[in-house]
Amino acid sequence: MIPDEVWRSAVVPVANLQLVELNLQTWIRWALWLAVGFAGIFPGIVAYMVWLERKVAARFQDRIGPNRVGPLGLLQPIADAIKLITKENIVPRSADRIVHLLAPILVLVSAFLVMAVVPFAVGLVPVDLPSGLVYLIAVSSLSPLGIFLAGWSSRNKYSLLGAMRAVAQLVSYEVPQVLATIPVALWAGSLSLVTIFDRQLEFGWNVFSPPGFLAFATFLIAGVAEVNRTPFDLPEAESEIIAGYHTEYTGMRFGLFFLAEYLSVFGVSCVATVLFLGGGTPIPFLEFPVDLLGDSTASLIVVNLILLSVFLLKVLGFIFLMFWIRATLPRMRVDRLMNFAWKYLVPLSILNVFFAAIWYEMVIRPGGLTFGNWLRGTLVTGVLVAAAVYLTFLLNRKLAEAKPLDADWPSVAPATEAAR
Amino acid sequence: MASILFLVIATIGLATALGTVLSRNLVRAGLYLVAFFFAVACLFVLLEAEFLAAIQVLVYIGAVAILLMFGIMLTRDTMGDDTTAIPVGWMVPGLFGGLCVFAVLVVGINNSIAPSGWSPWEGTSSRPSIVKEEAEPGWVAERREAVNDMGRVIGVELMTRYVVPFEVAGLLLTAALVGAIALAHREDPDPKPPRSANRAAGPGAGDGPSTEAEEPVASSVSS
Amino acid sequence: MVVYNYVFIGLLLLVAVAFAAAPLVVVALVAPRKRSAAKDDTYECGVRTHGETWVRFRIQYYIYAIMFVVFDIETVFLYPWAVSYGGLGTFALVEMVVFLTILGAGLAYAWAKGVLRWA
Repeated sequence: MIPDEVWRSAVVPVANLQLVELNLQTWIRWALWLAVGFAGIFPGIVAYMVWLERKVAARFQDRIGPNRVGPLGLLQPIADAIKLITKENIVPRSADRIVHLLAPILVLVSAFLVMAVVPFAVGLVPVDLPSGLVYLIAVSSLSPLGIFLAGWSSRNKYSLLGAMRAVAQLVSYEVPQVLATIPVALWAGSLSLVTIFDRQLEFGWNVFSPPGFLAFATFLIAGVAEVNRTPFDLPEAESEIIAGYHTEYTGMRFGLFFLAEYLSVFGVSCVATVLFLGGGTPIPFLEFPVDLLGDSTASLIVVNLILLSVFLLKVLGFIFLMFWIRATLPRMRVDRLMNFAWKYLVPLSILNVFFAAIWYEMVIRPGGLTFGNWLRGTLVTGVLVAAAVYLTFLLNRKLAEAKPLDADWPSVAPATEAAR
Repeated sequence: MASILFLVIATIGLATALGTVLSRNLVRAGLYLVAFFFAVACLFVLLEAEFLAAIQVLVYIGAVAILLMFGIMLTRDTMGDDTTAIPVGWMVPGLFGGLCVFAVLVVGINNSIAPSGWSPWEGTSSRPSIVKEEAEPGWVAERREAVNDMGRVIGVELMTRYVVPFEVAGLLLTAALVGAIALAHREDPDPKPPRSANRAAGPGAGDGPSTEAEEPVASSVSS
Repeated sequence: MVVYNYVFIGLLLLVAVAFAAAPLVVVALVAPRKRSAAKDDTYECGVRTHGETWVRFRIQYYIYAIMFVVFDIETVFLYPWAVSYGGLGTFALVEMVVFLTILGAGLAYAWAKGVLRWA
């Protein structure tokens, strides 16, 4: 086994951020992150995401949105929070009280734990876990369990039904989401998010390569499904199954689910930005501004400010994208939803792993990023990715046409249909 | 410090394991099991195997626990309330069997030897350091690499020394999948919910299309 | 040590649970509490529940859960491979191709058998 020079450098960051001692400096750093995060940033971001969603959805629908409470309706989230807190907490008599209490806490905790590993800027990550990517996936797999418990503990058949469907959906879309992060780990040679960020400084954003683009698209679609946003929001569709798993949740308990959902949206956007869009770097193939990093604190502050603002802009872009999709697309039917996950996304993601290995061999193995390598890699893998996508859709179409009764599309020959 | 932490986590683990076994409600038992899995993940972290801890949470809590819950929903009263009593004749043999297993585990673990030939580390203070120091035996560098970059080292081992178990694991997984599908397929077609008496008893054609207007209503409850 | 990072995760867990529980404590103190028979009932669009809360679940849910377990474990094997791929040769790629083919055959079997239909 010959140690590859390229990823040998990936072992170096271990000396920087991953090895921590439990000294005062570490405790202060952690306490600062916890205080700033929990007291201000995360609740604030989530609350104003709700406001933003209402405004954006309103504008899409040619309305104004909340504008009564405070200027531009900016105090609306606070009014909503006060309303939720002062509502009576009704728990059905036959419900399992402890589990009923536990479920929203589990879902919210899962959303918070995701934020612990996201590198917002250089050094602005509280912990850099060596297996950060697996930790991320592991922690986000706690929420289906919370949702199931919510539905089960309510002792309401509609809640239970909604919860089972929600869990089936979440679990089905978790597979392509995880498979889409494999190319990223492959190219970075490490599971640590900071190393993935560093590697994108050298080799360009992960999205600018055909397998990376496919992985990005898969991750985004699966991420939207994982956070139960339209078009995948069947579990909480008000018109379909009352309110699904959170039917029997009133007041602040419902507020916790709400909070968890928007925090997950923020979390998925952050993770997508770090994994595929190079974190906070403004220009794809350059190392700016990280190459400005000197030894002085001033340079660190300037660099971090640039990185952080660009990062937040990208995250805002993703969030707006999700709001836009919600305002535009109708809800997917449950069987088409599941079909899409298992018959389109999973095969594509598995094939994408091969394409990612090919890209690695052509572009990353030689050492540095050269235009010639990148072009060759793009052409070869681009053809392969396009062929794979086309073939997957073709295969599904052919299989659906072979059994016209179960076809997803209306059959091309209506004459044979009329006889049935 | 580490031993206190270990005692706390082990006690929690034992308590949740007891809760799993003694709980009457099946879903509650499943929840205690989830807490036990989490305690095991904490123990992995205490043993410096943080990749394994993440995998434990991902696979056991994220997948197996959900599978268990679905299994309970499918085969039992959905509220998990039905109680199964252990027949009295089985209690003493069961207890004896459990004590034998416990004795085997205690003897085996106490006499185990670590792969490098040394006796197992009992406290973190006697473990070799993670940072490179002077005059360290040869295997410490290997251990340091393994702890600091566990994913990569596991990958290398999987691809070189443990290739056959790796492929066999793939075969095993596929076999489990095929087996589950074979079992499930026997249940096809789904039994419909009991129909009301004044409806023409048409041959319930499995999940074929039906032109009865009431059919979608009945089946929407069962889906 | 690397593992000390997880002390932060534990801390975060505790703070997150406290953060989630705090509004509930406030609610317990502040919110009105007027119980009534109607409020304690299970909600079914305002209608009394008739029939038991027993719903026959189809095997479909279990199938999806099993497929998820199998593919989850597949990704557990994929992560170490992906991370160590750089330092290994082509044989690693071949081994992973074999592994993914075996699992892909399982997926194809499930697909062909028709169990991936929501039915």
